[in-house]
Amino acid sequence: MSQLPHWDAATAAVVESRLGPPPAPRFFSPAEEATASALLDLILGQDEEPRVPVTAMIDVRLAEGETDGWRYADMPEDGQAWRDTLACLDADAQAKYGSGFAGCPAADQRGLIQSVQDLGSGDWHGLPAARVWSLWTRYACTAFYAHPWAWNEMGFPGPAYPRGYKNKGVGRREPFEAADRHPAEDPVREGE
Amino acid sequence: MSTDVRDRNGSAWLIPNDGTRTNHRLRRDMRRFDDTDEIDLVIVGCGAGGSVLLQRLARAGWRVAALDAGPFWDPDTDWFSDEAASHHLYWTEPRVITGTDPVPLGSNNSGRGVGGSMVHYAGYTPRFHPSDFATFSQDGVGADWPLSYGDLRPYYTAIEEELPVAGEHWPWGDPHGYPHRPHPVGGNGEVFLRGARKLGITAKVGPVAIPNGRFGNRPHCIYRGFCLQGCKVNAKASPLISHIPDALAHGGEVRADAMVTRVAVDERTGRATGVHYVRGGRERFQRARMVAVAGYSIETPRLLLNSSSSRFPDGLCNDFDQVGRYLMVQGAPQTAGRFDDEVRMYKAPPPEVSSEHFYETDRAQPYRRGFSIQNVSPLPITWAEHVAAQGHWGRALRDYMTDYVHWCCLGALCEFLPQAGNRITLDEETDRHGLPVARFSYSQCDNDTQLLHAAQRVMEDILHAAGADEVITIQRFAHLVGGARMAADERHGVVDGTCRSFAVPNLYITDGSVLPTQGSANPALTIMAVAARAAGLLQAGARGGPS
Repeated sequence: MSQLPHWDAATAAVVESRLGPPPAPRFFSPAEEATASALLDLILGQDEEPRVPVTAMIDVRLAEGETDGWRYADMPEDGQAWRDTLACLDADAQAKYGSGFAGCPAADQRGLIQSVQDLGSGDWHGLPAARVWSLWTRYACTAFYAHPWAWNEMGFPGPAYPRGYKNKGVGRREPFEAADRHPAEDPVREGE
Repeated sequence: MSTDVRDRNGSAWLIPNDGTRTNHRLRRDMRRFDDTDEIDLVIVGCGAGGSVLLQRLARAGWRVAALDAGPFWDPDTDWFSDEAASHHLYWTEPRVITGTDPVPLGSNNSGRGVGGSMVHYAGYTPRFHPSDFATFSQDGVGADWPLSYGDLRPYYTAIEEELPVAGEHWPWGDPHGYPHRPHPVGGNGEVFLRGARKLGITAKVGPVAIPNGRFGNRPHCIYRGFCLQGCKVNAKASPLISHIPDALAHGGEVRADAMVTRVAVDERTGRATGVHYVRGGRERFQRARMVAVAGYSIETPRLLLNSSSSRFPDGLCNDFDQVGRYLMVQGAPQTAGRFDDEVRMYKAPPPEVSSEHFYETDRAQPYRRGFSIQNVSPLPITWAEHVAAQGHWGRALRDYMTDYVHWCCLGALCEFLPQAGNRITLDEETDRHGLPVARFSYSQCDNDTQLLHAAQRVMEDILHAAGADEVITIQRFAHLVGGARMAADERHGVVDGTCRSFAVPNLYITDGSVLPTQGSANPALTIMAVAARAAGLLQAGARGGPS
């Protein structure tokens, strides 16, 4: 955020607003909020403070009805789909562990959502599992990767107006861009 | 074109040169027609097609107004250098998608407001190839157009000068040059060029609708990488800056925030009489001697279907069940490669380098038609979508994402074939105006799927040849065309080669929905060229323009 003085006022305002305290929930009930937070923490690997307030950011979208402009014919509209799938997660947790999803240990939670992902195009409580998975990850990533903390983690300098970039090309950097300290260390390359 | 572009279209010179992006005086002093004025032409939609038509006919002295459901943007205050904050650029009214391969809408392909989808398109403006106009007779697939490449060529040239387009000399299709020299490429383009060169695949820089240098009062591109969020710089062309200013200066009206709900047709004469629309909650009616619908491939068919009457019980112009059919998207797999070097694909405009090496039918392959390959450069949110599509979540997702600066990204555009069953119908769900929303069904055929595999293979090969140690792909779709296609007769399409509807003599459709095939080219330039040609014919009085 040290770059904020270099951004145009309109953009600086929307990015800065994400750093302030999020508004109180309007869409999720307290129980839904708890389930959603547990689910979103797992999807985004947020296991310690400070967290990007992803649940609150999604709550704002759903309260505003800010959808992506489409829904699958075999899925309810996004808000209802969130309510339904959170209830289904709780039902799975109750059936298997006798507790709501948010009350389960993280390892059990992980197992429950992994089983949803593993269903692929199969059916989960009457909904296509892959589309449920897509709903969760889409909303989660859109919220998380809108936050400057996430940009810092990936080396993305954020808004670039009106400054723009002068040094394009492989291996070239602006004065305000930091080099990757371990360029050959591919975090996903197996066995290294 | 023989005349200087400024003499034909002064838009770039009507933009302020004081560092602000909007000529507010031009908008304030804009001519405003009354609903009761019977204007010469009312246009529905202010995107690629509608804006060009408005500009051409306003210049010709027609009394013409264009209505758009969305806002009249000011890039300074309304657009943000930020992905999540750009949600309002997309058409996000409810729509239902179905079929075996449902196509997500919204941010992917649907614009809102003056400028239409070109506000958030990447900026690639390739021409179609001559073969695109006769795929059925040449390749036995798709459809033949009722016009040829030669009919469009002068309009391609004219629009390329007006946007204007920058790129290398283009060796494919009908070889041609561009008015502006190619832009310098960033890391993403470098990698593409390097990989292609190693494999003997021709790749070229361009064609992009971003002037290389100043153009009128439009400044030089600053290579900030946010083309898809609306160009705050006024460098990347959209009709908002390439055609609307000139239209206003010549007496055309843009009526923003006006949602057209129905095209009215006189039951006795069979002629269109104007459009019903809602503005600020009030139902209104604009009278006009002629109506042009330019709402793009979803909203144009939806409007026609919602405009049923006793004469047209199944929807306007739908006597032969053609409205909404043959809607196409391009298969757009996106393949990324990981390099130890820092590529930083977010620096430079997403549109950089493209190849049409695989565009035409290759008789040695089991499939017909082909694909093109272009640079794309996803920003954090869309990159997360790419990574999450590999199945990663939790810590794995985060770790992958931290490696962002090392990835290069290519996207293919595969020519999916037009099929009657890929279509818009009306859903039971209604919008806030009480109108049924569009239901869009899409299913791929075998040829489509084979193209996807072939294109992914080529992109992986290019990235490996350039030195990538890992490649990952996400399956996507891009663009929309068709849905009210032009054809030789009313049993095969909705409009003729001049964009006039077969059923209603003073009703035109001038947007991407009239395209019978799509090639593997981004459609914006062709949509503009088709609209410019329709405008030219109207001006010439071929269809009884104003006396």
